[in-house]
Amino acid sequence: MSEAGRVGIVLVSHSAALAAGTAELAGQVGAGEVIVMPAGGTDDGRLGTSIAKIRHALAAADSGAGVVVLPDLGSSVLTVRALLADGEGMPEPLAVADAPFVEGAVAATIAAAVGGDVKAVASAAEEARHARKL
Amino acid sequence: MRASSEASITLAGDLHARPAGSLAIAAAKFESSIELAAAGRSADAKSVLSVMGIGATSGQVVTVRAIGPDAAQAVAAITGILADATKVGS
Repeated sequence: MSEAGRVGIVLVSHSAALAAGTAELAGQVGAGEVIVMPAGGTDDGRLGTSIAKIRHALAAADSGAGVVVLPDLGSSVLTVRALLADGEGMPEPLAVADAPFVEGAVAATIAAAVGGDVKAVASAAEEARHARKL
Repeated sequence: MRASSEASITLAGDLHARPAGSLAIAAAKFESSIELAAAGRSADAKSVLSVMGIGATSGQVVTVRAIGPDAAQAVAAITGILADATKVGS
């Protein structure tokens, strides 16, 4: 089902496998109603982050309602911030969520699936830090 | 009108991540507040992480309680999802 108008999610990780696996999980929990794009690893497949991959994921995740970005750790955050500071050709609106990566991705995807805006989706991701799993 | 409604269901299978997502998406469509309770733990049905966090497993009784104007419809919808989504083989 095409869901134009849903907020898209971009998962930025040092690891391509971690980003892809988290995107797969969040996408399935969200019943395929939301575009969840991974942006993991460097351009040559090593651990790290890639501006080109993040740019591509942002464009692919945007269906008009904006995008929420979840970085995993450290330099993922720095790379995302550097890219946003540049500002050129970014989806609008766009928010970076300060959230646990897996829980945040799942919570954000559900918030987007039920029609939340960028602010609501980013808040859902950030509230995931309080969710107990035990 | 503020109404409340409640029903219980015995799960035929474990409440996995995917049905927890379907349940949270369905719950968000109702105005009523909706709570799940199982084995002494409770969860906000509109929060996927909360629903996953109760770790409801096969054979457990889950009670669905809703309070609000569409409480009866909410309880019917959520118990329906719990029945379908935890069917063995789903």
